[in-house]
Amino acid sequence: MLAWIRALASRTRAWLSPRHADQDFENELEIHLEMLTDENARRGMAPEEAKRAARMRLGGLTQLRETNRELQGLPLIETFLQDARYALRMLGKSPGFTAVAVLTLALGIGANTAIFSVVYAVVLKPLPYVNSEQLFNVFEVQPQQGVTGTGWSYLNFRELREQNSVFSEMAGVQKHQLTLTARGEPSIVNTSVVTPELFSLFGQKPLAGRMFFSGDGKPGAPPVVVLGENLWRGSFGADPTIIGSSINLDKRAFTVIGIMPATFRFPFLTKSEQLWIPLVQDPVFGSWMDRRGGHWLQVTGRLKPGVSMTEAQAELDTISARLAKAFPAENDGWAIRMVPLQQMIVEDVKSPLLVLLGAVGLVLLIACANIANLLLTRATSRAREIAVRTTLGAGRARIVRQLLVESAVLGLLGGAIGIGLAYWGVAGLSWLLPPSLPQLSAIRVDNFVLGFALLLSVLASCAFGLAPALFAANSNLQASLREGGGRSGESAGRRRARSFLAAGEIALAMVLLMAAGLLLRSFSRLMSVSPGFNVQHMVKADISLPRFQYSAPQQWAAFSDELLARIQAQPGLEDSAVAVPVPIADGFINLGFDIAGNPPVFAGASRTANYVSVSPDYFRVMGIPLVAGRFFNQHDISSAPRVSVISEAMVRLYFPNGDALGKRLTFGFPPDPGAVREIIGIVGDVRDVALGQDPGPMMYVPFQQAPFWGGGVIVKSTLSPSSVVTAIRQEVRKMDKDLPVTDVQTMPDIMETSLAQPRFRTLLLGVFAAMALVLAATGIFGVISYSVSCRTNEIGIRVALGASSGAILGMVLRETLLLALAGLALGVPSALVASRVVGHMLFGISAKDPLTLAAVAVTLAAVAALAGYIPARRAMRVDPMVALRYE
Amino acid sequence: MPGDKSEILQGTLDLMVLKTLEAMGPLHGYGIARRIEQISEEALQINQGTIYASLVRLIQKHWISGAWGTSDNNRKAKFYSITKAGRKQLHTEAQNWERISAVIGRVLRIAERG
Repeated sequence: MLAWIRALASRTRAWLSPRHADQDFENELEIHLEMLTDENARRGMAPEEAKRAARMRLGGLTQLRETNRELQGLPLIETFLQDARYALRMLGKSPGFTAVAVLTLALGIGANTAIFSVVYAVVLKPLPYVNSEQLFNVFEVQPQQGVTGTGWSYLNFRELREQNSVFSEMAGVQKHQLTLTARGEPSIVNTSVVTPELFSLFGQKPLAGRMFFSGDGKPGAPPVVVLGENLWRGSFGADPTIIGSSINLDKRAFTVIGIMPATFRFPFLTKSEQLWIPLVQDPVFGSWMDRRGGHWLQVTGRLKPGVSMTEAQAELDTISARLAKAFPAENDGWAIRMVPLQQMIVEDVKSPLLVLLGAVGLVLLIACANIANLLLTRATSRAREIAVRTTLGAGRARIVRQLLVESAVLGLLGGAIGIGLAYWGVAGLSWLLPPSLPQLSAIRVDNFVLGFALLLSVLASCAFGLAPALFAANSNLQASLREGGGRSGESAGRRRARSFLAAGEIALAMVLLMAAGLLLRSFSRLMSVSPGFNVQHMVKADISLPRFQYSAPQQWAAFSDELLARIQAQPGLEDSAVAVPVPIADGFINLGFDIAGNPPVFAGASRTANYVSVSPDYFRVMGIPLVAGRFFNQHDISSAPRVSVISEAMVRLYFPNGDALGKRLTFGFPPDPGAVREIIGIVGDVRDVALGQDPGPMMYVPFQQAPFWGGGVIVKSTLSPSSVVTAIRQEVRKMDKDLPVTDVQTMPDIMETSLAQPRFRTLLLGVFAAMALVLAATGIFGVISYSVSCRTNEIGIRVALGASSGAILGMVLRETLLLALAGLALGVPSALVASRVVGHMLFGISAKDPLTLAAVAVTLAAVAALAGYIPARRAMRVDPMVALRYE
Repeated sequence: MPGDKSEILQGTLDLMVLKTLEAMGPLHGYGIARRIEQISEEALQINQGTIYASLVRLIQKHWISGAWGTSDNNRKAKFYSITKAGRKQLHTEAQNWERISAVIGRVLRIAERG
């Protein structure tokens, strides 16, 4: 083996500098001749005679040189290059074929490469943290209550961090949004509230300045902040003197101590501007640090090298048992689990992306089938050329190799153009990608992706090149030579192969069309589903009060009251309300509750509902109908009895006897989690989580009785959205000039945004299905056209014998439909199996929806018929005289 | 083809070249060819040129090395010498050869007796 490698290396060297080696050899031969001549002369030969005899002893010089060159060179590469040159010449001779094949391939490889670059960057690539495989998310679960994964209280986290011996470092994070007032307009900025260990946990060095020390996390430490590079560049003009200076967050001064490079993202995984502050400095979470109950701190740990997940889990079990024993009130029934950080981050986006990759792979497969078909056709018409080459001594292997090289050249050409397309496609994809997609690594065509594209080109070349090459090399020599034109000389095997490929294309296209059809119908249902509230003419804007300035709930209530009164006093803005959270836009708050008089919730079952705090006009402005009882009014203030309005779904679920009105519920947020509220009204259902999710139980409370430090102002107005927002801004500024109005969106836009993920995959899958359809159609067109041209003679005879043009048309169309039917017979079961993969992405439609299946089958049959109709028309017009003379 | 001159196999020639270089030390192509002819007592008549294919093969496998030097009568010539790897290879090949020729010899004797 070693000797063989050495020989190859030496050959390569010689091959790279052939002239030197050749000259060396010439010299050697010359000297050898001289020595032989001398020897002969010594034996007494005449000089001429001696020279002649020496040549005889040495052997034919030309042959020696030839052998030497062969030994020194790399015959495999040389013949490959020779074959490739020849292939390029042959491909150049039929530019139509070459263009179609290369373009088809380029589209297939380009689309695959583009999608792969997304899959690679988002799902496959290791997280861009040092030794990222050691990072795990550690969370608490409460199996009996069905709580599958929540955060920690700070106190529990502290014990976990100090007591465990399996993690080398652990850190806790929470996300928040704070008001940044530094220069110019106040703005809301993504704030990561972290324990000081975060950056050392990730092994991340700052771009400038320093990261947090453990002292920064202690109560009473001066407030410090680390800026993200994007924020530093975007909001501070990349000011190099920023470190040591002071910025205001929620009206409180923080000293900038460092800048993190833009490539470091955690826990915000998107490209947004962000900053980090120690947990202890946060206006909300900072005050929660000394409470053991609560599950809000997201914890990440780095496993020590050599510690297995099982060992770590065993230790976590011990710690959770210890916690439950020491603090049973907060920890009884809770357990600790861990999951690789990568898995946690990509979990949600993985399967839709893999489905897209699979779909685009099918498109390439269809493209390959198409090109294989074209090659089979070509091989038939090249039978004579191949026969001549065989006669001249080319072996079967040599012919197969030549044809495979032709395929490889096609594949590489297609791959090269495809990679170009992929660059362009990735740029296009980047604005199609849903903004919520975690983008820890840049999505681009890097070396790994290029390698993938190259491998794909080679694999594709083999896929479409092998069968045609084998068939071609097997052709009957005598028959091919005799037949001359090679017109009707297609073997039955080859015809079967072509038909099989065309039918296979239809089957594959069917799989894609079915998936795309299901997603499309599901998407249109999503678009037309009623959310249960008004969308048109609605505008939403967020206001959040700095907690250092507005610390008391009474202040929040008063602020909201005054702001709403000011806005409603403006002409055209009478229909306005406040809500926390705004449905769809803000997510949801799920709270447990108890019904007064009913037995408390037993372990293993929990009563929960989504909680919304609203101003009295909310239901009217949103168009949520009253079913029974009454709405809130201006008398439901903090000094009045606590009241609540619930949704129909909540009635169905928890008050099946229809006796909800007048019942009392116990639920709430801090500061009054145990408030008892009487149910005074029942309202219609609302899709508050997502359009694709059925409405769940909801309970509403008056904002005055359950104020919050921030919320959404909702206005229904026929004025333009921009003038509505301007009016809101003016009123807010009159009350507090440093308060930003953020996240301004019209309700239709909010609905649109919430559909970004399904739209993305529906659009892409639709495009792929369309490509598949076009490819399958051209495939059928190719097979039928070729079959017609082979049968010109036969058709001529039929016409001469009196067959009507209708009969000819029928004959060709029958052949087409047979192909299509074979394809559908294969396609229907495949499509039904494959559609299960997209099942979990569907809304309001079954993965086996018969209507979609039928529509897809009919579409395919119709397209196939159309593709067959064009050659059929040509068959109809065959002139019997011309056809018969043709031979 | 003359009856007393034998055709030689490619691998055999390589083996003979290796052995020659081991026994004689560095030699040029002509020297090696002459030596093989002498040893075989002219029973093997080779086109001396074929020696060069053998030399290229052996060099590529790093079993011998070649360098330009000066011959006895002050001619520039390329001298070949056996390498360490070449000696090892020669040893293995020689053993192989003896084993095989012994087996063939036995088979032939059996055939004769039968």
